[in-house]
Amino acid sequence: MRVQVARFRTAAWLGWQVESNWADPLVFTVYAVARPLALAMVLAGMYWALDRSPARHALFAGFYLANAFHVYVTRVVVGMGWIVVEEREDYETLKYVYVAPIGMFTYLAGRGSVKVVLASLSLALTLVVGWFVVGVRWDWSHVAWGPLVFSLGLGMIACLYAGMLVSGAALLLPRVAMTINEGLAAGLYLLCGVIFPVDLLPRGLQELSIAMPFTLWYETLRRALLGHGASARLGAWSEPHLLGALAFSTLVFSLLSWWGYLALETRARRLGRLDQTTMF
Amino acid sequence: MRAPVPAPAHAAEAAIPPAGAFTLFRRTMMARAYVRWIGSMREPSYLLADAVFPTIGMASYVLLYRALGAPRSFETLAVLGGVLATYWLNVLWGMGTQLYWEKQQGQLQLYFVAPCSRMAILSGMALGGIAATTLRTVAALAVGFGLLGVRLPAFDPLALLGVFLVSMTALYAMGMILSSAFLLLGREAWHLANAVQEPVTFLSGLYFPLSTFGQFGLVAATLVPLGLGVDALRQVLLGRAAHGLMPVPAEVGVLAALSVVLLWLARFSLAHLENLAKREGRLTQRWQ
Repeated sequence: MRVQVARFRTAAWLGWQVESNWADPLVFTVYAVARPLALAMVLAGMYWALDRSPARHALFAGFYLANAFHVYVTRVVVGMGWIVVEEREDYETLKYVYVAPIGMFTYLAGRGSVKVVLASLSLALTLVVGWFVVGVRWDWSHVAWGPLVFSLGLGMIACLYAGMLVSGAALLLPRVAMTINEGLAAGLYLLCGVIFPVDLLPRGLQELSIAMPFTLWYETLRRALLGHGASARLGAWSEPHLLGALAFSTLVFSLLSWWGYLALETRARRLGRLDQTTMF
Repeated sequence: MRAPVPAPAHAAEAAIPPAGAFTLFRRTMMARAYVRWIGSMREPSYLLADAVFPTIGMASYVLLYRALGAPRSFETLAVLGGVLATYWLNVLWGMGTQLYWEKQQGQLQLYFVAPCSRMAILSGMALGGIAATTLRTVAALAVGFGLLGVRLPAFDPLALLGVFLVSMTALYAMGMILSSAFLLLGREAWHLANAVQEPVTFLSGLYFPLSTFGQFGLVAATLVPLGLGVDALRQVLLGRAAHGLMPVPAEVGVLAALSVVLLWLARFSLAHLENLAKREGRLTQRWQ
């Protein structure tokens, strides 16, 4: 166990060195701050363009909040896919990492943990801007801390395992790995009803969306912080029901992702694609 | 009887009349546009990335307006934003980072030794990029007007085409400047491109009327030509429901002036880049 922790810590340290080394601090800050803030301001612009009413504001607050937390998906899930692309294409070190005793899973988890920290920074900034500029606020005395902490933990687990699955896909499909990474971020933004209620999705997609841990996570976060959700369909679910569904969905999703990663990695190794560069 | 003597290689070269500056510019531009067009069609994953991903974002924004109970014209506005987002992505990734990619692949030096105008190469890239991107906007239009049921009132197609051409000239001229700037920035270019993608989307008001921000909207529109272009196109399509910043003729005038200035700046920055490449000899080194 101590060896595993030491390996994880080493991978996280390396991740930080890589993340903070490629650019000067100004560009790094702009990159870490500008992107999520600009996205939040696009939403704010869309909201401010409309007549404001209390009901509309309450709805918008829920969407803004979920959008802020979606940064974990864009930074951690997609970022873990990018780790494979960078190691293989940019640094051409993936084969060395792969044969090193640290193990790919521990390495990816360690590198991914740095992305969790950076995503948390972006989240905090987005929420601060939301609070002071956009007016997305909540009553601290009414925050449901238990469900909030519980769902945050489950959300992180779901993000890390989803990241593993994306990394596995990047190992197997070198040429389209970049497309998969970017596509996943866009796809999950739509599928998980980040900025609209999933009730607006067509039947079939709605069910798929509700089965995803991220959709349930955002709904739990909205209820825990703001006291209300966004979806009429999920609104019929009680708190314990929603939390139980989130826990179950996360468990199933994590197991499937773990299995999927191993299957994809094995296939990539058999096909000799671990160090296949594409010059992109 | 003597066998026919094969013509020397230089005879074939001599058969091609020497091109004037304009003809050489046109040929180079068309050749580069052809490569861009064929290249963009060759890799199916590029089609997916360029056409489908912006459309997914657009669909989310349309559904956000729908969830907030906004007037239907706002949904049309979001679809138009999604269509124009594909051009912005093409300018950023297809134009801005192109010279950097060429350097990474070891082809940049060929650009600098080729006996043609570098502006012609970039113009060809822009022309091919616009053509390929226009084809990709079909996905956004199909999702917006087909799947999401967004509706468009009657509009003047000639006015739309005119405003579109002026907007694209200004936008792609900015892309030409970015291509030189990103090349100078070296390995930070990739991250810088990533960093400006969303802020420009915000400053251009791709998904909301810039007039929402009052005077700040006007300032934002002057920073990036995309903002004025989006605003003018929206006004042509939606009229008063577009909540425009300025009258369309004024916006077209500013865009035309911006096109001239940006094209001149692009030419200047390319010349600077060429000088740097010759003087220091480092510009074509990978990972710098």
